[in-house]
Amino acid sequence: MSAVKKTIVVEQLKRAQMNELLVKGKRLDGRGLLDRRDLTVVTNVIEKAEGSARVTLGNTEVIAGVKVNMGTPFPDTPDKGLLVVSAEVLPLASPYAEPGPPDERTIELARVTDRGVRESGMIDVSKLVLVPGKHVYAVFVDVSILNVDGNLFDAVSAATVAAILSTRIPKYEVPAEGGAPVKTDQKMPLPVQTIPVAVTMAKIGEHLIVDPTSEEEAVMDTRITFVSDDRGNICAGQKGLPGSLTLDQVIFAARTAKLKGEEARLILKQGVGSV
Amino acid sequence: MNIKVKCVYFQVKAVPELKRRFVIPGEVVAHGSLRAETNVMRVGDKIVSTRVGMAEIAHDAVRVVPLSGPYIPRIDDLVVGKVIDYSAFSWEVDMNSCFFGVLPAQSVFGRDYSPAKDSLTDRLAVGDTIAAKVIAFDRTRDPLLSISGPGLGRIPRGQTVKISPAKVPRLIGKKGSMIRSIESGTNCRMLIGQNGVVVVVGAPDDILRAITAVNLVEDQAHSPDLTEKVQGLLGITPQEAQGEQFQERPNDEQVEPSESTVDEATRGKTDEGELSDKEPEE
Amino acid sequence: MGKAGGDSRSLINEQGLRIDGRKIDELRPVKIEVGILRNADGSAYIEFGKNKIMAAVYGPKEVHPKHSALPDKALLRCRYHMSPFSTEERKNPAPSRREIEISKVMREALEPALMLEDYPRTAIDVFVEVLQSDGGSRCAGISAASVALADAGINMRDLVAACAAGKVAGQVVVDVDDIEDKEGQADLPIAIMPSSNQVTLLQLDGQLNDEEFNKAFNFAVQGCKQVYQLQREALIGKYFGRSEVPEGGQ
Repeated sequence: MSAVKKTIVVEQLKRAQMNELLVKGKRLDGRGLLDRRDLTVVTNVIEKAEGSARVTLGNTEVIAGVKVNMGTPFPDTPDKGLLVVSAEVLPLASPYAEPGPPDERTIELARVTDRGVRESGMIDVSKLVLVPGKHVYAVFVDVSILNVDGNLFDAVSAATVAAILSTRIPKYEVPAEGGAPVKTDQKMPLPVQTIPVAVTMAKIGEHLIVDPTSEEEAVMDTRITFVSDDRGNICAGQKGLPGSLTLDQVIFAARTAKLKGEEARLILKQGVGSV
Repeated sequence: MNIKVKCVYFQVKAVPELKRRFVIPGEVVAHGSLRAETNVMRVGDKIVSTRVGMAEIAHDAVRVVPLSGPYIPRIDDLVVGKVIDYSAFSWEVDMNSCFFGVLPAQSVFGRDYSPAKDSLTDRLAVGDTIAAKVIAFDRTRDPLLSISGPGLGRIPRGQTVKISPAKVPRLIGKKGSMIRSIESGTNCRMLIGQNGVVVVVGAPDDILRAITAVNLVEDQAHSPDLTEKVQGLLGITPQEAQGEQFQERPNDEQVEPSESTVDEATRGKTDEGELSDKEPEE
Repeated sequence: MGKAGGDSRSLINEQGLRIDGRKIDELRPVKIEVGILRNADGSAYIEFGKNKIMAAVYGPKEVHPKHSALPDKALLRCRYHMSPFSTEERKNPAPSRREIEISKVMREALEPALMLEDYPRTAIDVFVEVLQSDGGSRCAGISAASVALADAGINMRDLVAACAAGKVAGQVVVDVDDIEDKEGQADLPIAIMPSSNQVTLLQLDGQLNDEEFNKAFNFAVQGCKQVYQLQREALIGKYFGRSEVPEGGQ
């Protein structure tokens, strides 16, 4: 209910308390430095979408929906289907969010998520082609952020991946005599090859912490996200904010992302019912 | 609204004791010539609630104790706020309200304050937490704060936690019983602003436990055995708690007048107003 | 949205039941939850048939930009928005003309219930997000927003409950769903303040004669009153636990 300015002013008290705890390996909410908050995944929450998932990560809450249309491929990739990931921080999600087109931070968020899905090869886009150069499946993943409490990257990534895993798209067929593909009553899953998982860490002082809350993000010096696939590869990464990381911290973050990503992947699989 | 409601409240007039009932905005609380107090409005011969809350009828007065809502400053309230900005002549304070508090430089530096000589940030910086008193407010201008007085000023250590301002009386408990339970169960000291901002001072681990307890009070404010739940959480046995001398009557807890033992400045200024301070007439 | 009339006989069968099995005066299933969003000052979630809608209230709060503040009352702002995945075909996330109009009538439907004069120089933001749309999303959105405003603890004269009635296959029915809206002959969404019986929203889209209009209006009012009971139960449920609900429902 507070009168809101555009940015969060963090209390000096909270900053001091946070630093005092970090030295002891603890955080304001009682977690250890590398502990993730509870992650919950529920799929098929929007019946009208071809796929959907609602994900909570602590108090951060997002919902992702997948819509699939017929589209025209890009001229330089005539043999690949289209995949577009967008995100919107809904104004109902935070006192700091404003209605309007996505700002640069939200665009970064969507693009990093998009890269994780694309570069991991999660969806085999070459199988989404009906008539090369003319007719391909266009997969739109839209993620709406419902409540902001830090680490939107991991929450949005998890919702995107879970929604894709739950997706059943209408099968189109190309008529024998040629022409535009025709929608059939059959449904099929997307051609999924791996499950990418994003793990984001914040650097506060000299400490790296996994899954920062809004309070922690407000004081963090920098942020690093790594996406790993289920074959042990790192497939996307993004360092954000003006601060910097030591070389060792980067290596540590990459290793931690893979390790912590395994746990989250299991929860994702359970959430979509594939385990 | 309907005849049933009418009957209940004519009966209340005949038997003068405190009657409580859950109401939502627009709901008729009472009919007739009762006095409309807080969070109610008169529509013809009806008195209607304007809030989600507990309607109370006692003697000749009707009011609603709200269960949610923003903090509206009142003169003499103790508030805990955060400095978010400053100009040449004043600080701007986020006091968890729909209005920013204004703390004039003169009230800190004295009458001879001069922006050329004195620097506001020497005393209070953006991000500092303060305990302050509301000294003027009339909704047409931002509330005026002061930090001169015992217990007021910059808070040097501790952690803040926010609760709904409507639940401040519940956190304080009857004659301060709830806050004392939490303080003694966690070895922390607590300062409760009327604006719903609570400062907890203690060792870091103790603070975490105290905040867990405060959050429990906020989440379960409607629960009749809240005191037991908090004691359970903190591992306090009921015997110890009874040593505190005030035993709560569960049904009365929600609307008790709030008095903090922590600071004199919080005394007796809550949404409760006069009504529950009075004993029902025989 | 021209109401073509057309061949819509199949929308009501010989037993007088509608396409989803409802009677002509029966609402779709409605579920309301209060206080579902942590950051918001007040919030509510409503499922109204297949509609899945969230409403959040922020405020009263300081106005930015400052010059848009009103000296004598709070500035009420409303945004009705549909998620891209809420419809059959993906919806462009940018606000459409339809969403902008609904945001306006929604604000005007809620404003009479709010005691904005108690919060001068502040703003109250109401955000309604349609996660899945069915017919009647504006009514469901208004009902949810009104509960969210009460949850936020803003002084109100009354709640606002909304419901539509319409004409389908030549018959007046309450609470028109998506298919009935598209195939039917008329849609009459209204919102009322249930305790004072004031109408705060009325739109009409399609043809009704005198008798049909009166009947449809009456159906919609009755629908609003049913919605109101559910709003009340949801609010009591949040603050006192579900067990307390029947006691107060008079």
